Formats: sequence, structure tokens, C-alpha cells
Amino acid sequence: MSEASARTAREEWGTRFGFLMAMLGAMVGAGNIWRMPYTTGQNGGGVFLIAYVLLLFVIAIPGLMAETMLGRYTQRGVIGSFRQILGDKRYAGLALVVVVVNVALMSYYAPIIGQSMYYAGHSLLPTFFQSGFEATPFWNSFSGSPLLTIGTHTVVMATIAVVLTFGIKKGIERVVKYMIPFLILSLIAISIRGVTLSGGMDGLAFVFTPDWSYLFRGDMWVAALGQALFSTGLGWGIALTYGSYLRKHDDVALGGGVFTALGNTAIGLLAIFAVFPVVFAFGLEPTAGANLMFISLVQVFPQLVGGQLWAIMFFFGFFFATFSSGLAITEVGVTTIAEQTRLSRNQSVLTVSGAIWLLGLPSAYSSSFLGSMDYIFGNFGLPLATLAIIGLIGWKLGPERARVLDLNRNSDIYVGSWWDGIIKYVIPSVMIFIIGYGAYTSVGTGDQTLMIGGIALMAVLTAASIAVMRVLPDSSDRDAVTAPKGGD
Amino acid sequence: MALSLTTWVVMLLMMAVLWGGGTAAIWRSMHDEDRKLDLIRDQGKIDTYSPRAMADLREWVQANPADPYADEARERYNECVETLREIDEPFYDWSDDEIEELERL
Repeated sequence: MSEASARTAREEWGTRFGFLMAMLGAMVGAGNIWRMPYTTGQNGGGVFLIAYVLLLFVIAIPGLMAETMLGRYTQRGVIGSFRQILGDKRYAGLALVVVVVNVALMSYYAPIIGQSMYYAGHSLLPTFFQSGFEATPFWNSFSGSPLLTIGTHTVVMATIAVVLTFGIKKGIERVVKYMIPFLILSLIAISIRGVTLSGGMDGLAFVFTPDWSYLFRGDMWVAALGQALFSTGLGWGIALTYGSYLRKHDDVALGGGVFTALGNTAIGLLAIFAVFPVVFAFGLEPTAGANLMFISLVQVFPQLVGGQLWAIMFFFGFFFATFSSGLAITEVGVTTIAEQTRLSRNQSVLTVSGAIWLLGLPSAYSSSFLGSMDYIFGNFGLPLATLAIIGLIGWKLGPERARVLDLNRNSDIYVGSWWDGIIKYVIPSVMIFIIGYGAYTSVGTGDQTLMIGGIALMAVLTAASIAVMRVLPDSSDRDAVTAPKGGD
Repeated sequence: MALSLTTWVVMLLMMAVLWGGGTAAIWRSMHDEDRKLDLIRDQGKIDTYSPRAMADLREWVQANPADPYADEARERYNECVETLREIDEPFYDWSDDEIEELERL
């Protein structure tokens, strides 16, 4: 089959660079900018980073290879992939769990994107540089105003919907090709400024000095595991969805696995260089999380020479990091709906964006509700989704079959049999451990009720999804019908 | 505050692994993309498996002839054999002898 006739009705990435930037943009998010630096500092510094990188190579990279491969192989979204591999629809409901978890995740992530967008806008105005500006009242006036929080949530979902209506190549790819390089360049520029500040090196000492006593502490390894898995977006359905738009001659293992995981973490490292020297140079609290971004740092920029420029670069970079993740998370639902129903892509975008907007209203309105959603879906929803996707490859498709048949096909690197055991045993075991550990550490704490509710919710969600998928008629799978098999 | 030697070592190690690894990965990926597109433009098609990956695929098909995916695997294998025989320049590091020795499954 010639290259020309191999083209299908299904859209494809226009360039390898576009795909790589989209994968990077999908995985780089708020967690890389505000969470990774202080998690590192709190968990033994250099020891944490060494553990993190080790887990990245052992678990995250092989897992991302598997997920991207599944999408490229089936050329379908989440539900279509499950149906194709399972061969029947009895347990295809597990795919619905992945999609629902994604939608739920996006429902509370959209208000966070709204926060970053609000601050990016004000960095331009420039609000932070006006006389009499006070960061805490400014943050409180924003976070305490439903009009503003729901308003920014609404603008974010509307903007995401607009981009997604343009499709993969003209929508997502066109946007991320500029956003991600901007993010990287802005972090590099701020890093150079940061480390040259007086006292800035203290921040690097806080992060990179290894405290070897942490090496044998289980909680350090769990924290490194959580960061390695969830900052790379493994098992959310994103890599599967983006992989399904790859061209047939494209590589999966190097771009989808190695580059995505290393690139994502490299940006986390850049965030450390950008944020922590500034934090220590100005005596800010390094573990302040979101407050570090929205209260502490906005007070710092006016004190820097050329502060407005730094503020614009930082907050727009931060906004682009969150926005590109939002595009990817929403696209998981859009691709699935477009394939599994008779809705057009535009109708699917409107349906999914509208559903996320509606479900996100409570999180936009109440930060405590947002925190509860994050706890439930972070501790139980995402591991469950990852377990479903990696379990499908490890236990149904079979890792050896997947590797020899498709992962090494058109691959830029060779993946050996070491990969098989990681996919079949290691990642599923780790996911079960994370769910169990999350439940165990919540016993007797203030999160206990939330934990019980979260586990019950996941059980109900799984049972309901399986029941729904058994009852629903088979989809049209319009794109997949036209997708040919065979080579270049 | 001056950084200790250990801190410098850890910091440089992380930079080398993450930035170095990420840069090498994107450079290799983009380079391979250019080469693949050039070959497709010139020859119409490219080989889809490296010699090691082809050997894996062949061994797997021979070990699992009744597997539900065996036909598809055989088809992909044969397609790569045909392609290698038709094209002048393979993408992967195939020698003429290796191509000569390949047989359809």
C-alpha cells in the first residue's frame, strides 16, 4: 500500500515535532512547576531526584511506550482500543472508567487553568506593579469571588473547545508548537536570572543536596513513585489518544516513551532552577504550593529589574503548561465520543467541553470541593485508570506480542524483552500498591471518610461502566472502519 | 552559600540525564523523521523493522503459529521482507547478505 493511499479519514499529526510538543505539553502541568521542586526539597533533595529518575526509567518510560503503542496500533480512542483488544464488550466498561476519570480530572483542573490564565492576564496589565498592590488580598478577592472563578473556568473551557474544534493538526498541534517552546525558553531565562540572584544558590542547595538518610525511607520512595507516575501522565488515556493520531511510519518508543518522560522531567528540573533560587533569595516559604505561585512570587517580580518582563514570561509559561495539559485531557473524551457516537467532531467537542464545564462548577466555586476531587481521583481514580490500560496490554494483548508486533515497528530504538515483565507485573503491582497505600495512610486521619467514599465511588463507577457498556449497542467506530492495516 | 561537591555532582548528573537525554531523544527522533520522509519520497516505502526486531518477530511467529495475532504478524513480516527486496536503501542497518537470507514466513 502506498503512502498516499495509506492516508485514512482519521486525522494525523502533521509533523513529528508537533507530536512531540503535544506529548510534552500534555504531560507538563501545574505539578511540574509548583509541586516537583518542593516535593524534592522535602524528601531528601538529591536522593529523591535519583530515586525519581530511577523509577522514571523502570516504570514511567516503559508504561508510556505501552500506552502510546496501543493507540498507534488500534488507531482508535480509549473505548475503541479496549473493544478491539478485548474482542467483545463485556469488560470494555473499563475503558469507560478511564474516560470518566479523565473528565472528572479535567473538571477540577480547568479552574486551576483559570487561575493561571487570570494571573497571566494581570501580568500584562500590569496589576502586580501598581502602587498599593497587595498579593494576599488580590488572591483572596479572586478565589473568594464565584464570578471570577467560575468566569475564568468558563473562559478556559470555551477556549479549549475552540482550539479542539480545529482538530489535531490545525488545533492542538498548531497551538502547542508555540506554547511549549515559549514555556521552555521562559523557564531558561528565569533560571539564568534566578541563579544569579544573591542567595539564589541556597535554593539549589535545598533541592539538590542529598540527604542519604532518606534512601531507606519508604515514604520517600512512595513520593518519588507518585511524582514519576503522575507527572508523566501515564495511564490517563492521553498517550493512547495522541498515539492514535500518529502516522504509520512514526516511532513510538523513543518519542512517545523516552522523550516524553525525560522531556517532562527536564522541564520540572528547569522549574526548580527557575523557582527555587528566587524563593530562597527572597526568603519565601518553599512548601507553599499554589500560594507560592499566586501570593509569594507576584510580590517578588516588582523587586526585580525588568520585573514585568519576568512576570509575563513566568505566568504565561505557567498558563501554557496548564492549558496544553487541559487540551490533552479534554481530547481523550472528544476522540472517544466522536468515535463511539454519531456526533461530529465539533458536536463531540461541545458535548465533552460542556460536560466538563458543568461538572467543574463546584470545583470552581469551592476550593475545598476541588481538594476533595483531587484527593479521590488522584489517589484512586488515576491508579485505577492506569491499571485498566496497562492491564489491557499486559494481560490481554500480551506484552511480548505487543512488543514484537507493533512497539518495535518503525521504532527509532530497539525495545528488548526486559519490557515485557515491567508491563505485565511491575506496573500493575505498583498501581495496586498505590491504591492500597493511599487507603492505608488515610485510616485514622481527617481523610478517612473521603477515602471510604472515594473507594466506594470507584467501585460503583467501575460496576456502572461495565453495565452501561454491556447494554449499549456497538459503536459506529467510523474512523476505525476506514483505518487500514499493513505497512508503509 | 557555596554548594558542596556532592550537591554539584547530583545537580550535574540530573542535568546530564534529563536535559542531555531529552535533547538527544528529540534530536534523534527529528533526524530519523527527516530520513524516513526522504526515503518514502524517493522509494515510496521503507522497511518497517530493524534486523533485531525482525528476528524477534520471526521467532515469535514460529513459536506461536496458532496465535490469533499470528496471521497479522506474518503479514507484517512478509511485507517487510518484500519491501527490503524492492527498495535500494533501507532505513535500518540491513546488510545485503541479511536481506538475501530473509525468507517469507
